[in-house]
Amino acid sequence: MTVRLTVNGEPREVDTDPTRLLVHVLREDLGLTGTHVGCLTGDCGACTVELDDRTTKSCSVLAGQADGAEVTTVEGLADPDRPLDPVQQAFWDEFGFQCGFCLPGMLLCTRELLRRDPEPDDAAVDLALNGNLCRCTGYAGIRRAVHAAACRLRSDEVAS
Amino acid sequence: MTPRFLRPDHLDGVTEALAGAEAPSVLGGGTALVPDLTHRKVAPDLLVDLSRAGLGGVRVEAGVVQVGASATYTDVLATTDPAPALRLLRTLAGGVTGGPQIRSRGTLVGSLSYANPASDVPAAMVALRATAVLASTRGTRAVPVADLLTGAFSTGRATNEVVVRLELPAADERPGYVKLKLAESSWPIVTAAALVRTDGTARVVLGGLSPVPVRLEVGADVVEVVPDHDDRTVADALSPAVAAAGGEPWQDVLADARYRARVAPVVAARALRRALTTTSGGAR
Repeated sequence: MTVRLTVNGEPREVDTDPTRLLVHVLREDLGLTGTHVGCLTGDCGACTVELDDRTTKSCSVLAGQADGAEVTTVEGLADPDRPLDPVQQAFWDEFGFQCGFCLPGMLLCTRELLRRDPEPDDAAVDLALNGNLCRCTGYAGIRRAVHAAACRLRSDEVAS
Repeated sequence: MTPRFLRPDHLDGVTEALAGAEAPSVLGGGTALVPDLTHRKVAPDLLVDLSRAGLGGVRVEAGVVQVGASATYTDVLATTDPAPALRLLRTLAGGVTGGPQIRSRGTLVGSLSYANPASDVPAAMVALRATAVLASTRGTRAVPVADLLTGAFSTGRATNEVVVRLELPAADERPGYVKLKLAESSWPIVTAAALVRTDGTARVVLGGLSPVPVRLEVGADVVEVVPDHDDRTVADALSPAVAAAGGEPWQDVLADARYRARVAPVVAARALRRALTTTSGGAR
């Protein structure tokens, strides 16, 4: 089956078995290896992408289910030769990651949270990120990074 | 063998596809079924994706809450209707483990159909006296959820049927929902949905204790002591009824049956307190 996706703004067509996992299509067919394969059970969040503006675990979505969808992966946040996205920069500044395996999920869930709630409290941050497991940071730096990103985005808005 | 994949754009397409297959699986959000496919726990010959069949949405008509097959936890969280059933379901939906990624994709009907004894939805739907509407090429039938659940990971749904919606009757009851889980990212250990009636009596339905939800009737004499006593005291008062109502024990890797039996009366007591003390049913 031909699966049509818009990936990071670009239309893509993939000739594939519709029962393959979306995360495998992204990594193996489209070369977008920023989306990670972790548990393959929907627990860890390392495979998180945005599917039609909602964060989704791409290990729990079949290619056929994604046909026609807009997909944003971590590669869609910023070009390699351009400045980081404000959420990425906040994670960098606040030591919001170490090994980086969970980072795609943390970044995409933070973006989704801040679109909905520009000034979240700790409880809202925890609720938004509780589908992402980090084994390095102990989460304190991640919380700090989300608040820093929120602050940065609010001041960007005032400036523009 | 790789299953065929279909995504019909109306309900008739779904039921016709199911009728023509030997071992089909119905794909709601896929948050349970897709990992099971990956790990080869299921081997269907056909996957029928419901997402284009127009079965989404949460509606309230004349006090009756209808939860469509494609309605996600996020859809429930977006509702504002003060119906007691929806207040309880909003609390439940906000506490579903797995993050917004799961809450925006997982469906309540899917969770009910999957019938994991330790998941939130089955016991809550029994507490809310939900009826499941099932469709096939032979027509539709309505089955109380309490009768549809037949065991762990097992329901009375035939392989060529699909649950199209849940219907929750209007009720003037005060809802409370509490679950015990051992970590933020854990499955529930025991869940309790409490509904306190205007006559002061209550029903509490416990999940995670037995293969199917456990129903308790709580007399007004017990309900009325809740505000003035701590959870331990209320739990002691509830314990005989919990022990009497419990069916065969259930356990999984997260907690054994003895632990579940020990904590169940406490979780029930907390749910009763929540029902009595928060006007919103604890809804986020």
